[in-house]
Amino acid sequence: MKNSKPYPCPPSVGRIYPPLASRLFGVWFRHTRVYTKNIFSNGLPPFLEPLLFLAGVGLGLSKYITQSMEGLTYIEFLGTGLLMTSAMFTASFECTFGTFIRMEFEKVYDGMLAAPLTANNLIIGEIIWAGTKGFFFSFAVLCVLTCFGIISLPRGLLAPFIGFFTGLMFSVMALLVTSFVRTINHFNFYFTGFISPMFFFSGVVFPISNLPAYIRPFAEIIPLTHSVRLTRAVCAGQYHLILLLDVLYIIAFILVIGFFAVNRLKKRLVY
Amino acid sequence: MSPVAITVKNISKSFGKVNAVRDLSFEVEADTCYGFLGPNGAGKTTMMKMLYGKCTRGKNGDGSINVLGYDPASNELAIKYLSGVVPQDNNLDEELDVISNLMVYSRFYALPRKAATSRIDYLLGFMELSDKRAARIRELSGGMQRRLVIARALMNNPKLLILDEPTTGLDPQVRHLIWDKLRQLKRHGTTILLTTHYMEEAFALCDTILIMDKGAGILRGSPGELLTKNVEKHVLEITGSQTLETAADGATLQKVRIDRTQETTRVYCDDDQLLRQLAGGLKDARYFLRQSNLEDVFLKATGRALNEKQ
Repeated sequence: MKNSKPYPCPPSVGRIYPPLASRLFGVWFRHTRVYTKNIFSNGLPPFLEPLLFLAGVGLGLSKYITQSMEGLTYIEFLGTGLLMTSAMFTASFECTFGTFIRMEFEKVYDGMLAAPLTANNLIIGEIIWAGTKGFFFSFAVLCVLTCFGIISLPRGLLAPFIGFFTGLMFSVMALLVTSFVRTINHFNFYFTGFISPMFFFSGVVFPISNLPAYIRPFAEIIPLTHSVRLTRAVCAGQYHLILLLDVLYIIAFILVIGFFAVNRLKKRLVY
Repeated sequence: MSPVAITVKNISKSFGKVNAVRDLSFEVEADTCYGFLGPNGAGKTTMMKMLYGKCTRGKNGDGSINVLGYDPASNELAIKYLSGVVPQDNNLDEELDVISNLMVYSRFYALPRKAATSRIDYLLGFMELSDKRAARIRELSGGMQRRLVIARALMNNPKLLILDEPTTGLDPQVRHLIWDKLRQLKRHGTTILLTTHYMEEAFALCDTILIMDKGAGILRGSPGELLTKNVEKHVLEITGSQTLETAADGATLQKVRIDRTQETTRVYCDDDQLLRQLAGGLKDARYFLRQSNLEDVFLKATGRALNEKQ
């Protein structure tokens, strides 16, 4: 301790590091780069999956289902639901298995946190990336639905944007779960117990008005119901004031669950 | 006198019941190399992580950390922007190739694309990795991965380079290459902070060494000072079961310090003539007379018994 001359770099010079938007973009850029590295194996399945689904239902199941559902033919009803389930699945996988592997096995986050990024920046970048994937996966389904004439275009173009927000909702939920998980196998409970039931009880495969009265409130609590209702309204061009409640639900869900997810997960990155 | 780059005062950190760092204070002058030397579990890595905000400091109230004029608790981004970090594990992005790893990292500093490309070319050349640009991370040897991590840490031309065991597990060629590069960086005005448990590394690179054990700093000084102040000049190492007592009388044994393990006896003394005499009296034991080194200081300071983390 021979001298105590302070370092000639006054902390008051203002921000020297990149701004928030640039830092979030950095995280997003990393994920995009990894995803597009294998564009064929990553980019094709989102198109193939709805194709298979619609082929199976259209060729087989739909001739038995002649009743219209909420004023739509069955294939239209199911198709508009699939726009959202694809966003849900991709965001859920990305932020459970994907995040866990980056955090615990590959240690990618440790490397990133040595750069000028905070743990918050990193997690929020992750959420935005999951939203982007939600957008892209919805868009892929939209392409398929359009090709088969199931959806008419100018209206359907809004669906991927709802897919983006659906991606955000399921990514914050997944990150919250990830913050509790100690071994990767625990995610199986989340998918079997939460994500799979969502597929059946949020009006994707059949209208929730057909559910017994005591289950219907449950359907209103889970997030996918609201995305699906909005998407159908948008695709049919039928806007009601009541849809504002769905919008509010989605925004509140992202903010509230997101707040807990970021704060809990941060403690696993910076300790 | 150069200014102080890092000031740490009375910092402690515990994880549950384990006290990783206990009331540690030190100062690092700019443009010098400062080394933390200590056994595994001594708290070196935790201290490093607290400097750039990967670990929060313990809540003992009066401790303070200042790195390049900033406090990591309130301004970790400024510190990270001005520093480069080489962590203990090579946490490269295995899903990307060499060049993409660096391109992605350059984005975190918001380097414009053109500047990033030329910086990356320079760094790959500097760390002698130019012909591995397109290689996948898995195809790289341990030494190449380590050099790539160092190149990555140098992306933003850091004022401070933090290295956690930079050469552990590497062969001598790579180790000497890395040492040379670190010396070059220091000459050009980079402050270097490193942890190691290799004595030669500490001796070869550091201007100041802090020996840590069980979370506390126990000895500090330049490598030369540590040697002259803390340990006798010469050592006689005897292997085998020969007892010293048969070779020397009580008066001689009074003048030396003896350190015994199961198979080896080390006799320390400033007077090498005395040790030579002593060795002459040994019957058929194998012995080796040498100058004492940093390892002797280290073992004397930290004790020979293993702790629970080693």
